[in-house]
Amino acid sequence: MAFCSPHTTTSLRSPCTTIPNSGFRQNQVIFFTTRSSRRSNTRHGARTFQVSCAVEQPIVIGLAADSGCGKSTFMRRLTSVFGGAAEPPKGGNPDSNTLISDTTTVICLDDYHSLDRTGRKEKGVTALDPKANDFDLMYEQVKAIKEGKAIEKPIYNHVTGLLDPAELIQPPKIFVIEGLHPMYDERVRELLDFSIYLDISNEVKFAWKIQRDMAERGHSLESIKASIEARKPDFDAFIDPQKQYADAVIEVLPTQLIPDDNEGKVLRVKLIMKEGIKFFNPVYLFDEGSTINWIPCGRKLTCSYPGIKFSYGPDTYFGQEVSVLEMDGQFDRLDELIYVESHLSNLSTKFYGEVTQQMLKHADFPGSNNGTGLFQTIVGLKIRDLYEQIIAERAGVPAEAAKV
Amino acid sequence: MASALTNVSLSTFAPTARGDVLARPQVAPARVTFPTAYRGSGALSCRAGGPATPPGISDKMSDSIKEAQETCSEDAASGECAAAWDEVEELSAAASHARDKLKDSDPLENYCKENPETDECRTYDS
Repeated sequence: MAFCSPHTTTSLRSPCTTIPNSGFRQNQVIFFTTRSSRRSNTRHGARTFQVSCAVEQPIVIGLAADSGCGKSTFMRRLTSVFGGAAEPPKGGNPDSNTLISDTTTVICLDDYHSLDRTGRKEKGVTALDPKANDFDLMYEQVKAIKEGKAIEKPIYNHVTGLLDPAELIQPPKIFVIEGLHPMYDERVRELLDFSIYLDISNEVKFAWKIQRDMAERGHSLESIKASIEARKPDFDAFIDPQKQYADAVIEVLPTQLIPDDNEGKVLRVKLIMKEGIKFFNPVYLFDEGSTINWIPCGRKLTCSYPGIKFSYGPDTYFGQEVSVLEMDGQFDRLDELIYVESHLSNLSTKFYGEVTQQMLKHADFPGSNNGTGLFQTIVGLKIRDLYEQIIAERAGVPAEAAKV
Repeated sequence: MASALTNVSLSTFAPTARGDVLARPQVAPARVTFPTAYRGSGALSCRAGGPATPPGISDKMSDSIKEAQETCSEDAASGECAAAWDEVEELSAAASHARDKLKDSDPLENYCKENPETDECRTYDS
């Protein structure tokens, strides 16, 4: 028997209404049979109701990055843009990798590991290797979610390294698949409405992992370096090539504002946005399509050392037309951030200062004072805009017909 | 390369009291500064005040590092060596996530930060 998903009851309106078949919505007919509570009365027969249930067809977003490169932070910023915090599934496996908010469900693609930790060790393959992952199951399940169907998704336990019993995932409004390989398999790639790749340069990756791991017992600079180097061949072979398929790439590099900087503290961040993607209009600085170099710090705005530098312009990326927005340096004060926001266009904000508000709301997240936080927030706003446009288009079909 | 990187700043992004003030941008004056944690001293101050990794994961991780070093001493270019260091990375990431979870482990506190006006977040004077 079909069942209206309990998950969608968290949305503002009930998924089960009497609305007619509207464009892209699938209509399911559900027969509810009610019986009198007293058994002696069953003779009066069962009454049958017909309930039309509009199944949500989620939009699917892919986020690719290596381990320890800020996927979690990005996801927290994204769900915040949609409002409401993302939480692990209630009452489920405490080691579940899934996050659920009112609108969004984020799953971790490590859950599709076909080899557990012991299996990988025996065969001598890393988790980066496609051989350690079940792309057939990944494809089937992402496809099912996209069609509005619930899935029983495995859970890869990062602590034990074992595959735990599956968890039930209901189709949300926005379904995010994050991990090492969201754009690796062509079939999965085809299902994505939007894709993002976080491209962290080797210098910055090293600095971030030192920050993350140095306090851990057993770790040293040597062990952190050895781990990055040992994983690099597989990273270069299987993860890095996915960036050519991404609609937006956030590239994180060392600063050029400080000569020979090796601290990895001040960052130069590029937001590479593909042109010609439906419902995605790249952000620009001053004049769309021109090449601009901008140092906002000067007479009107004073910045602290080493200052802030922006650049914007058209470019090509893997043979495709892109717009690139770059920020080098960091914000030290609120007026710097609001000044920068007021000079950017096509931000997809709903009110003046929304980017600044989001950045301040999460001032404790890594990167809130530099281009990583700024561009993650902007991409979050662009995804919200994309979602709203897709929904409007789906709803627009019957609405326009009604006007005639 | 390693020696050049010993002065990498390890300032963490822990929320500060000032960060909390900044969470209400509508009342924040225009010249509020970001939390000073960003301007790291350059010294190795690792997660001062932050929660420690749960011992279960911490032990696993230090064991996996030893194992990786042993595996790779035989053949540093082997798949086994890469897989062993990959396990280290996986456990390091798991340790980091476990610390983050501990940082905001009170769900009611977290909920009320976002929704102070709701019934379950009201406080009453006796």
